[in-house]
Amino acid sequence: MAAGGLMQIHDPQKPRGFAVGIDLGTTHSLVAAVIEGKPRCLPADVGGSVLLPSVVHYQAAGGVVVGKNAQALAADFPGDTLKSVKRFMGKGPDDPETKRLGAYRFVGGKPVVRFDVAGGQPVTPVEVSGEILRTLKRRAEGHFMAKVEQAVITVPAYFDDAQRQATKDAGRLAGLEVLRLLNEPTAAALAYGLDKGSQGLFAVYDLGGGTFDVSILKLVEGVFEVKSTGGDTALGGDDFDRVLAEKFLAAMKLEAPTPSQVVQVLAVARAAKERLSVADRVEVGLDDHRQVVTRAELEEWIRPLVQKTGPACRRALKDAGLKPSDLDGVVLVGGSTRVPAVRRFVAELFGREPLADIDPDQVVALGAAIQADLLTNSARADEVLLLDVLPLSLGLETMGGVVERLIPRNSTVPTAAAQLFTTFQDGQNAMDVHVVQGERELVADCRSLARFRLSGIPALSAGMGRVEVRFQVDADGILAVSAKELSTGVSQEITVKPSHGLTDAEIEQMLLDSIEHAEEDVRARFLREQQVEAGRVLADARKQLAQNGDLFEPGERAPFEAALAELEALVRTATDFQVLETALRALDAQSRPFVERVMNRAIADAVSGHSVEEY
Amino acid sequence: MTHFDVFGLPPRYTLDAADLEKRHRALALEWHPDRAAPSDARAHRVAVERTTALNDAYRVLKDPIRRAFYLLALAGVDLDHAGGGPRDLPIEMLEEVLELREALAEAKTAKDFPRARELAARVEAERTGALAAAVLCLELVETSPANPVAVKKASHQLSRVRYFTRFLEEADALEEEAL
Repeated sequence: MAAGGLMQIHDPQKPRGFAVGIDLGTTHSLVAAVIEGKPRCLPADVGGSVLLPSVVHYQAAGGVVVGKNAQALAADFPGDTLKSVKRFMGKGPDDPETKRLGAYRFVGGKPVVRFDVAGGQPVTPVEVSGEILRTLKRRAEGHFMAKVEQAVITVPAYFDDAQRQATKDAGRLAGLEVLRLLNEPTAAALAYGLDKGSQGLFAVYDLGGGTFDVSILKLVEGVFEVKSTGGDTALGGDDFDRVLAEKFLAAMKLEAPTPSQVVQVLAVARAAKERLSVADRVEVGLDDHRQVVTRAELEEWIRPLVQKTGPACRRALKDAGLKPSDLDGVVLVGGSTRVPAVRRFVAELFGREPLADIDPDQVVALGAAIQADLLTNSARADEVLLLDVLPLSLGLETMGGVVERLIPRNSTVPTAAAQLFTTFQDGQNAMDVHVVQGERELVADCRSLARFRLSGIPALSAGMGRVEVRFQVDADGILAVSAKELSTGVSQEITVKPSHGLTDAEIEQMLLDSIEHAEEDVRARFLREQQVEAGRVLADARKQLAQNGDLFEPGERAPFEAALAELEALVRTATDFQVLETALRALDAQSRPFVERVMNRAIADAVSGHSVEEY
Repeated sequence: MTHFDVFGLPPRYTLDAADLEKRHRALALEWHPDRAAPSDARAHRVAVERTTALNDAYRVLKDPIRRAFYLLALAGVDLDHAGGGPRDLPIEMLEEVLELREALAEAKTAKDFPRARELAARVEAERTGALAAAVLCLELVETSPANPVAVKKASHQLSRVRYFTRFLEEADALEEEAL
């Protein structure tokens, strides 16, 4: 862009690229960025709301609708409108999670969950999440009028390797470089810590729409050290809705509700639950069915669910070697902590009133934005460091289906472990390795992460072939495995792909598919951006014209006004962003002498005691 | 390089936990990959390697039990790796462990949670005692390295600690069932 033109007056430090923080939530998602030193959530949905409902609707014509508009389509197209897809990330089709109350049609025959939706191909949870991320990326780009290509994305601390991989893959699909997967409670603590300069020991109790996390953190001189973490990846406010919905369905004597009815009843249940956080009783209406629900009833029904969060909290405290009285504070995160019964439970469990001064819906995204800024803004790199932990133990299957634990849970990441395997048959040249994650003793009770075969071992007599397998967990909590045959020094890198994950080839294909549409997407987006930019330039020019019209030389003003009128017409009619861009450049060049005079006057005024801000 | 070397500490059992935590924080601030320039792949890899070694050392040293096992390994007996255990464990030690496990299995079948808790408390005390005994032997080894008797005694006591820890993990799992 030419220097000294109108655009420079408008925005003297046009930002180059932005790194954002994204809270990819079960019920809604947010995007935030640090602007002038402060984290802020950006408008993410139509109407300027910062909450983008994590709902994706697939149209028969092939289009995709995300957010509030998708939510509105859920009742009419229950099978084509996917909600709470985070619950399916990294899960297999045989997982109990996929069989719960919901209106989806699944496609079988693959190790990855696939939803059958309108408009062509079945979609995986990774692709659906990718659509949500892409929407947030575009909204942020629209806000900044600049490309956004880097992001910190938050995940529940308790997410296992497969779920983390899936989240990272979704970021890749959306065209984002994932700077870091940040644990949600850590993000929340970061948002609280930087705002208040806190020191000490904190528990973060995070009950979202679909996941529950608890973490114990220690904050000392800018280092946020996670001491322990625990939780349940399949427990959240959605379950409260479901309990309530089941009560409604039973009262309505609907034994086999249609998918549309399920969606409708769930929506009513959710609204009733939210109302009951402030009201004592609420009357719901479903077709001709009327029912009054009191807060006491709701609390009675959800009590077992709320209590399910207790053991994880106690375990996290125990793992950190702490008693509740050692804590300096308890932070509430997640919309479900608005439920009074949840707050009471937390207060009782930790023996203190929890903190909730930052909006529990926004706090995670704000923390992610701070981390994105810390990782990309070298001027800030010295302020804060996050030391996160591995949430679940990593182990290997040994004889008899028993797990040998290699890296215990709550180890600070990055971390590594090595295991030595010896051959047990003469001439054996391969061995099978099964990696699992979890705390149970039997392989069958843990999460199977990956199975692979180490091959190419030189033929030696039994017990002589020795293979060292090394497990490296990176700062995102993601595992990589390498193996080395010790007698010959032959080494092998193994890419561990989760059993229920997508293969690299599948991801590549999805990327290719999205690039096919990307070309037109980009042009449409640039056009919108140029339209907004032109609008600003026009408004600014009009203002200068009114305030400094006397600075025009004879004969300058008329062509300038003509150029403005022409640009204004173009904003409405142009279908190609380049046309607008060219017009903007021309106006910029044409206005330069005038702008210089305006600047000179501003400087003169400032020197004589006026502030530039007056202009 | 031993885990103690990472922190610049002498290889002794006794250490100040607060000081160790402080050293870990200071070194993490210096070495963490987040501190490396994002574009410099080599610096990043070195940072990951160093921080990994730092975190592994921290995990072992900050835990009183893992620290004892590590010192024993430095003295030549690695109980953490398959086949590394002593073959000559006194028979009464094995009997003690077998009896306890049977008692726990009975409590489990009968869903007698108070009994399980009582057993866990007893084992917890036994483990504390065994660890203290092992530490005494390890401290002897620290002052006079060539002391095979002390090493052997330490390995017996730590073997007990390991059995007791497994027992307590099982009791914990049972406790969670009760919740």
